[in-house]
Amino acid sequence: MTSSCWSPATWSPALRRLLVRVAIAAFSSVLLAPAAAAAVYFWHLKGVPACLMAVIAALPIVGLLAANAAFLNEEKDEFQRNVFVQCLLGGIGGTLVATTIWGNLESFVHAPHLNPVIVYPIFWIFVLISAPVVLARYR
Amino acid sequence: MKNRLKVLRAERDWSQADLAQRLEVSRQSVNAIETGKFDPSLPLAFKLARLFGLGIEEIFEDSGSGSESGNQQVSESAN
Repeated sequence: MTSSCWSPATWSPALRRLLVRVAIAAFSSVLLAPAAAAAVYFWHLKGVPACLMAVIAALPIVGLLAANAAFLNEEKDEFQRNVFVQCLLGGIGGTLVATTIWGNLESFVHAPHLNPVIVYPIFWIFVLISAPVVLARYR
Repeated sequence: MKNRLKVLRAERDWSQADLAQRLEVSRQSVNAIETGKFDPSLPLAFKLARLFGLGIEEIFEDSGSGSESGNQQVSESAN
C-alpha cells in the first residue's frame, strides 16, 4: 500500500461514512463527558443518577465501536477490511500489554494509579501506531 | 500465493488502477494480491477468473499442495 491511501480521492464510500461517524461520536464525547461530570459535580448526584451519568458519558464510545462494526459490514474491499482488522488487533494487543505492564508497575513500584477511563484513548493510540506497521507489510 | 495477475494485466495493457476499477476494489488490493502478500477470498478469485476468462487454477498457483503426494493425502483423508 502506498501513500496514496491517505488521499481522500481514494477513500471508499464506507471509509467516508466511517470518518463522518467517528467525527460525530468524538464531538458527542467532547460534549457529553464534561456535561455528565459537571452534572454530577454541581447537582451533587449520587447513586443511580450518578451511575446513569457515567453510562451517558460513555455512550459516544459505544457509538464509535458501532461505527467501526458498520465499516466492517459496509466496506466491500476485503483487503481494506483485512488491514483495518489488523490495525484493531494491534490496538487491542498494545493496550493489553501496556495496561498489564502498568498494573505490574502499580503493584511492584507503586506507580500512580491509571484511571481506566484513559484505556479507550490508549487503544486508539495503539491502533494509530499499528497502522503504518501494517501498511508497510503491503508496500 | 503465486499468481499470474501481473502478466495477465500486462497482456491487456491494464494498469493496477484499471483492474481495481473492474474488480470494484482498491488499487492497493490489486497490488497486494499481485505481489502475493494478500490472498483473495474465493468470491474475489472467481471474479478475477471471470474477468480474465480463465479458471482460478490458471491464475493462481497452488504452491502448498501441488505435488502428487499432497493430492494423495487429500484423497486419503476424504476416504
